[in-house]
Amino acid sequence: MARHPQGNPTVDPPQEAGRPVSSRAPGFWPWFLQRASGVLLVFLLAVHIWMGHFAGLGDVVAGRQGELVEFDIVRRRLAQALFLTVDFALLALVLYHGLNGMYTILLEWSVAARRRRAATAALWAVGVVAFIYGARALLAFVL
Amino acid sequence: MLHTGTRHSRPLRSGAGWWAWLFQRLTGVALVGYLFLHIGVISTALAGEGTFDAVLRVLQRPVFVVLDLALLATVLYHTLNGIRVVLLDLGLGIRQQGGLFWGSVALTVVATAAATYFSLPLVFRG
Repeated sequence: MARHPQGNPTVDPPQEAGRPVSSRAPGFWPWFLQRASGVLLVFLLAVHIWMGHFAGLGDVVAGRQGELVEFDIVRRRLAQALFLTVDFALLALVLYHGLNGMYTILLEWSVAARRRRAATAALWAVGVVAFIYGARALLAFVL
Repeated sequence: MLHTGTRHSRPLRSGAGWWAWLFQRLTGVALVGYLFLHIGVISTALAGEGTFDAVLRVLQRPVFVVLDLALLATVLYHTLNGIRVVLLDLGLGIRQQGGLFWGSVALTVVATAAATYFSLPLVFRG
């Protein structure tokens, strides 16, 4: 067991004594992609939250703009390819990160850990449906 | 042992490492719940511009600004402790892991307080 010396603060990093094990080790990819998607989300979510909650704050407070989020503001933003790309990337990454996190929690619970393949299939189904739903919502602003 | 056993190991039930682990899961589950609500709200755009703006006007009332600040605190803790987890997995700061947890909590409190200050005009507007 690759335990951290003080209280095993993270769950099962697939490494021994600081050395990463082979990418073919079971559980390597969910572990690695959770961290990679998390790091990407730090940057994308910072932009997302800033644009939705702080960028227009001065205009709303001064009465030059009704609300921070209005259809027309979102439409004009998503008309720019960069913002549309960022929002599609956010949708895919946050669904992967969230549902892969649920998978980690399930594996810490022995009842579900014995039904690993069923859990994986169910979470992928939820993720694909939610992605289609979210993609339709995003496209409603640009089509 | 990697993911080959019957289940993942949990941390020992004491100390900063356990609290960090527990809060990372609680905030994670809460954020997944919020994600589905968020997708549902944005999907009202499918019903047209008028519907979207009517729903969003309600969701920008002061009570929801306060809920947004709670959401921000949840995201900030999950992000900062997530960075701590990545550092620990890279073998960095393992002996400082308790301090890194409390640092995550402190930064979350300070940044949420700052965001609350800037959001006050939205909470108390006429």
